[in-house]
Amino acid sequence: MKPLQIPIEHKTLGNGLRVVVAPDSTAPVVTVGVYYKIGFRLEPQGRSGFAHLFEHMMFQGSENAPKMQHIKLVNSSGGVLNGSTMYDVTNYFEAVPSNALERVLWLEADRMRALKVDDENLRNQRDVVKEEVRVNVMNQPYGGFPWLDMPPVAFRNWANAHNFYGDFADLDAASLADVQTFFRTYYIPNNAVLLILGDVNPAEGFALADKHFGDIPAGPPPKFADPSEPKQTEERRGDVIEKFGTLPAIAIGYVMPPRRTPEWCAMGLLDQALHGGRAGRLYRELVLEKQIAVEADGGIDDVFVYDGPTQMTTRIFHKPEISSEDTLAAFDEIVREVQGKGITASELDQLKVKWRSDYFATLEGGRGGHMPKYGLMHLLAGFTLFDGEPQLVNTILDGFLAVTKEQVLAAAQNYLLPQNRAIVFRKPMEKSAQEAA
Amino acid sequence: MATQVQRTSKSIPELSAEREVRWPKRTKTKLANGLEIILLESHTIPKFHGELYLRSGNAAAAARGTALAEMAATMVRTGTAKHTSREIEEQLRGLGADLSVSAGQDNSAISFAGLSDHAEPLLQLVNELAREAAFPAGEFERERRQRLEEVKLERTQPGFLAGERLRKVLFGSHPYAQVSPSEEQVAAYTREELQSVYGEFYTPENAILILVGDFDPAAMQKAAERVFGDWSGRKPATPESTKPPVLKGRRVYLVDLPASVQTQILCGCHAITRKHPDWIKLGLTNSLYGGAFNSRLVMNIREDKGYTYSPRSGVNPLRQYGYFSVSAAVRNDVVAASLTEIFYEIDKLRSLPVPEAELLDAQNYLTGVFSMGLATQSGLLSQISTLALNELPDDYLETYREKVRALKPEDVLTAARTYFDSANMQIVVVGDRKQIESQTELFGEVGIYDARGNRQN
Repeated sequence: MKPLQIPIEHKTLGNGLRVVVAPDSTAPVVTVGVYYKIGFRLEPQGRSGFAHLFEHMMFQGSENAPKMQHIKLVNSSGGVLNGSTMYDVTNYFEAVPSNALERVLWLEADRMRALKVDDENLRNQRDVVKEEVRVNVMNQPYGGFPWLDMPPVAFRNWANAHNFYGDFADLDAASLADVQTFFRTYYIPNNAVLLILGDVNPAEGFALADKHFGDIPAGPPPKFADPSEPKQTEERRGDVIEKFGTLPAIAIGYVMPPRRTPEWCAMGLLDQALHGGRAGRLYRELVLEKQIAVEADGGIDDVFVYDGPTQMTTRIFHKPEISSEDTLAAFDEIVREVQGKGITASELDQLKVKWRSDYFATLEGGRGGHMPKYGLMHLLAGFTLFDGEPQLVNTILDGFLAVTKEQVLAAAQNYLLPQNRAIVFRKPMEKSAQEAA
Repeated sequence: MATQVQRTSKSIPELSAEREVRWPKRTKTKLANGLEIILLESHTIPKFHGELYLRSGNAAAAARGTALAEMAATMVRTGTAKHTSREIEEQLRGLGADLSVSAGQDNSAISFAGLSDHAEPLLQLVNELAREAAFPAGEFERERRQRLEEVKLERTQPGFLAGERLRKVLFGSHPYAQVSPSEEQVAAYTREELQSVYGEFYTPENAILILVGDFDPAAMQKAAERVFGDWSGRKPATPESTKPPVLKGRRVYLVDLPASVQTQILCGCHAITRKHPDWIKLGLTNSLYGGAFNSRLVMNIREDKGYTYSPRSGVNPLRQYGYFSVSAAVRNDVVAASLTEIFYEIDKLRSLPVPEAELLDAQNYLTGVFSMGLATQSGLLSQISTLALNELPDDYLETYREKVRALKPEDVLTAARTYFDSANMQIVVVGDRKQIESQTELFGEVGIYDARGNRQN
């Protein structure tokens, strides 16, 4: 097995903008991303959903590229674009034929320099976001389960516990002044990283980055609210009504150890042992063997890219004729088993092979064939913003491949504890209530 | 490197010279047993991706039951003559592999990806699944129960209900109208019936193996021949099917989901298959209409009016027939307004030639996105699969971009007039009848259905 050697070069511009270039001339395609270190976790109180609404506003017009221009210019250059809001970062990205590199950098620089939007744009995107919430959450069976259901049950700090998609009243209250303040506070070069991947020569990439981004003024370093949680002393539980589906569902979330510790690596492999597809212990026991559940899956939210409390979460959809307490008891039995006996050497070997294979898949993909290198971009961004070390992409795997059986056992014993978990029960409405609604 | 600060220009940078798009070489062979093999190198990551396609799906078994090929596919990984379900899953994990077995209307497929250093054992497992699936009785009952819960859940999803209703309307008694089984149909499945579907469909004469990834093609060819060479079996007969109905006039099909907070709109009409000579023309026309972010429909009902989050149009190519569709999930009070804009943009494309500049933008978009397939193993696999399954010419990848670039505004006008059949579009809406029925009556006679598909008026 050869060590990974993805070529990566890294520079910081005078205004504090970090620039990472990962050249690969396989295809005449270049992927560009700008990541800002602000996500929905630390959006302003009283403005739930604002970080995401703001992300939409970044497509509504900037200094020299009015509304529609961003989308039009990227599409008409033969490329695709999008943005997404996550816990601790927000990204904007394009994949284009490499002859459009400078054009895309110009666009990203233009909207980092100055956002030019009006009340009409805000009204329009508020409407679009509400339809997004309806289509993804309010009008879908199990919508928002568990990513919107879990935080208020699991956490006590508003940063971690609020509705990340936004209460409609908060979306309605958001003003243009809020938009410009948020932009001035967080969307500054010294709170961002620019990534250029694919068909680019590094010297040229850095020169173009400097040409277009170099004169954007730095801002005062943002003051981030403290996302830490008060110490949890007992298990937490909550109920959420399911309006459409008929299967009861349970989500169980355990708070993860800090990133880049041996415990974190061990939890990664423990996650694979528990949730690794149909060979994972949960699917095998609950769905295939005991046949209590019809679906059991889970994982760690964005395992490489987070900067605050995060969880490993299991989702179980169980048969209605089996009670939630019995289902939970069966889950706990699996947890006790791994806490008692740990995992075998051959299981650990399999987990590592799968982990390595999944890691390669992450680097190449993540957004289908139309967004090449999305995963590599995402990891590079996280390792740059949170660790200042983009090269971790080449070495992070080593920590996982070095995990021992004993460390997996210790992770199960130290982290899969009642006082480290929260449980959400998503309960189908009674039939009569459903008809009355 | 120059670090001197320059004032950034206000004008948009021009595109620089385009780098040549060069598709990797494919090797295509046919074994004595009829199995076609297509190999393609791509060294982006130390993995490979593959598909074993069987050219028969749900439609070929429609006379015997709904979605039988899909249920048979579900059973394939649950046990073979040699291995239990648990052994298969652990073997896959140990090879670092992902695998799924699925079926659509026209094809079934074993799809897989794994590490290059464990390639041959993964091929062996795929071979075992394709030839020796045992359909264990206990596993069958378990999968049946899971399927039952899935089909219940589908009937609460507006997108599914809209798609199902449109297919029923467009295809009538043709097998393509059968989208998903009812609970009763799932309860009536038998192991024997699924096994016979599997036995007929999973044969080398009916199969194409496509492998893309980090390997030496000569060595991979030998491995594939070693593994699949002694497989045998004939191509299944293709059953005759009835023609879909010819639909005249717009009609509305309202699937009532009481208390829905949004309405799913899906309009459609018959169009063409992928093999049709007008396919590229229609693809470009669709891209101008609603197939890209920068398209007329998206700019109108999302970016201008804010009615919806994700409007979209597309051409859906099944093997025998294709259809054009437009979808948007909209606010309940703007259902009529959204339909008006959907038809306005269709009729505009049918009435006026597209401005040259807009056409050029759309041509650049289609040709650019097409080449992105080159950058990843899964992208290449998807492109090659399209070619193979639709029996498109070998130079399709190399000539596609020129063909798109050669199109003129007249071609778009002709394609819109021929295939965006405005006057005969069928309109499906899924939502709360009380809030939307009067809005939809403006567009045609309304038939009301419940979520189980029963006509209510």
